[in-house]
Amino acid sequence: MSAISNALAPAVAPDRRRPPDRRLRAVEAPARRRRPKLLYGVVAVLGAFLIAAAQMSLSIMTTQGSYELSALAKEQRALTYERQILYDDVAGLSSPQYLAANAAALGMVIDESPSYLRLSDGALLGAGEVSLGSSSVDAIGRGAVPNALITDTPLVTAPGATIEGKPVEAPVTVTEDGGVLNTPPPITDGLPTPSTH
Amino acid sequence: MTTRSTRSPRRRTVVALAVVLAVLGGFIVRLVDIQVVNADEHVADSLDIAFRGSQVLYGTRGQIVDETGQTLAGSVLLYDCQLDPLLVSQIDEAIEDGTSKATPWSEVSEDVAAITEQTPDDVRAIVTDALADDPGSRFAYLKKRVGTEEYRALAELGAPYIVCLQNPARAYPDGAVAGNLVGFVGSDGAPLEGLEKAYDDCLTATNGSLAYERGKDGVVIPGTQREQPATDGGTLELTINRDLQWYLQQLIGEQAQDMRAERGAILVVETATGKIRAAAEYPTVDPNDPTALGEDVRGSSIFEGTFEPGSTFKALTAATVLDAGGQTPDSTIIASSLETFANGARVRDSFQHPAYTYTLTGVLIDSSNAGIAKFSERASAQTRYDYFQRFGIGGGSSVGFPGEESGQIHPVEEWGAQTTYNTAFGQGLTTTMPELAGAYAAIANDGMRMPLSIVESCTGDDGAVVEPELPAPVPVISAATSKQMRAMLENVLLQAPYAKAVEIPGYRVAGKTGTGEKADLVNGGYKAGVYYTTMVGFAPADDPEYVVVVTLDEPKKVTSSAANATAFQRAMTQVLKTYRVMPATTAPELLPKFG
Repeated sequence: MSAISNALAPAVAPDRRRPPDRRLRAVEAPARRRRPKLLYGVVAVLGAFLIAAAQMSLSIMTTQGSYELSALAKEQRALTYERQILYDDVAGLSSPQYLAANAAALGMVIDESPSYLRLSDGALLGAGEVSLGSSSVDAIGRGAVPNALITDTPLVTAPGATIEGKPVEAPVTVTEDGGVLNTPPPITDGLPTPSTH
Repeated sequence: MTTRSTRSPRRRTVVALAVVLAVLGGFIVRLVDIQVVNADEHVADSLDIAFRGSQVLYGTRGQIVDETGQTLAGSVLLYDCQLDPLLVSQIDEAIEDGTSKATPWSEVSEDVAAITEQTPDDVRAIVTDALADDPGSRFAYLKKRVGTEEYRALAELGAPYIVCLQNPARAYPDGAVAGNLVGFVGSDGAPLEGLEKAYDDCLTATNGSLAYERGKDGVVIPGTQREQPATDGGTLELTINRDLQWYLQQLIGEQAQDMRAERGAILVVETATGKIRAAAEYPTVDPNDPTALGEDVRGSSIFEGTFEPGSTFKALTAATVLDAGGQTPDSTIIASSLETFANGARVRDSFQHPAYTYTLTGVLIDSSNAGIAKFSERASAQTRYDYFQRFGIGGGSSVGFPGEESGQIHPVEEWGAQTTYNTAFGQGLTTTMPELAGAYAAIANDGMRMPLSIVESCTGDDGAVVEPELPAPVPVISAATSKQMRAMLENVLLQAPYAKAVEIPGYRVAGKTGTGEKADLVNGGYKAGVYYTTMVGFAPADDPEYVVVVTLDEPKKVTSSAANATAFQRAMTQVLKTYRVMPATTAPELLPKFG
């Protein structure tokens, strides 16, 4: 439609516009494509492999570590149990009434007023009286401070007594033929001796 | 419907974009919904599914230790072992069918019984009873609170129907030593008595949790572990010395038995600091076995009991008239064994004597009621009341022990004619052992009354040390009065009839006895022939370091305060030995008894 109208229009004035530049021109010859350097590719691929390998080895190491951790945790648990069992075994043995009863069983007494020897001038402070050998409290005969943890625990120094002074009942074992055995356990490694330093 | 406008490419683009945006908008809404609005729920769901392996990390309840760091209360683990009766019967059926090669229950129960020290029949009865009640029963306690050794033995049986769960429990290695103070916890771990209860905030632990993904072989998958660590309870350090505490408990136990007393107690206070170094009593609960002695013996009668003090208060009256009444240790009055006062009050001495010209010292030495009543007139009733208050009588102590009582003094306006004089020698009012010890500590400590305390500090899991807040020291009497009082009280122990029994060779000791009457709660009035006897004193008399109070409730072999003499002498000796107090290098000055 527009082409027709243009054609019919009278040429009133000469067209002074510059003729348009030539729009068409020869295409420049494309630059020759350079061949990609092989080295970069190799580096990239190697890098990728390296990263993958490192990650894998790290992962293997952590996994291995977690197994070790698990084994150690198990060992720790076993040791914790052992510690608890040992703690239960000795509970109460450090108590003052046990110590005092043991000392009393050895014949030790709690004596009355103390005397002090002053080293700087050799002076004797205090009454300096002779001990009469009687204890101010009777820790073994009249134990007045109970401790349920060691009520039945025999004293170290007097295996026949406890902190309450009562004799300990020997364990009664029933033998195979139905008889009752009430003798000390047999000695296999010779007489037990206290270890001294 | 194809109009020009819809066909326009531009319009089409707009519509397509709108549709795409609408869909995108929908996604965004949903995304926000999932990631923000309901995120917690979904995270929880995912954790439930992913972290199948999880466990509670138990925090350990804090220790209670004495002044030297020895454990008085510690935590141990016990186990509650339970059975799955249904599984027991199912496995037994499988064994009968020949599809299982497990050991039958009849044999396992023998092993179990041997470990738990029950009889095999009892163990089997647990399962049969549970199944009788409910054929589908999956839970029955085998034994509660078993030790670690038994628990491990049970676990090694490998029986799938035995499960043991941790039950954190308390152990008191020293038994009844300081059991009255430490208190105990119930089988569920809740604190029931004593400092366990009062300082629960310090001791209590916070449990943590551990969640992780587990591989098929039970190994934790690396990187999936989430830990919320447990916080252990703090360590509560007391001012108590456990060796001294043991000795005094043993001592008062023997003394109470010898004197056939209902109870006995010894309280030791460091005068310069107000720290309680021992609070021994008989009987005392063993926190390992709190029910052994019955319901009455649970707490501490030292803090929970009040009593009418009797003659120990004569020293407080003497201090008052020295400090505010212009008297001296040598001031005199004339008193016979029965005195009638202007307001009609009558005061009688415990022994017959003619009219003596007593010095103030002499009144204390002979413990003359009539004498101290006459001296009490040298200060107004209001002044004496104020001094009692400053001595801390009726104000309780700053220890804050659970169930702690305080003494009672009626206001001056309510003192009748008789009470006005009776209060001078410790009748018509009540006090407690900590109040009495605090008052004597003030006399000993240059007149300055230090607040009593039993807790040194609480050291938290993070190492933060919290010390209890104590009230400020109270000035009661002047340093000069304190010095006079120390000399007078030393003369009491030198010149009283029981002087020989309380003598500590090499040391200078001061003190006073008291025989308080006991209210008869059944018939009213006072009980006949039985008393609450007290002996309180401090040493060394010239530079006091420790106050010791010994009380016996209704001693029957010797009914007077002489019953306390042996225990007081031995207790004080042990205190001086424990703290390496050096023997005296100076001799006491004898004060005249009569003017």
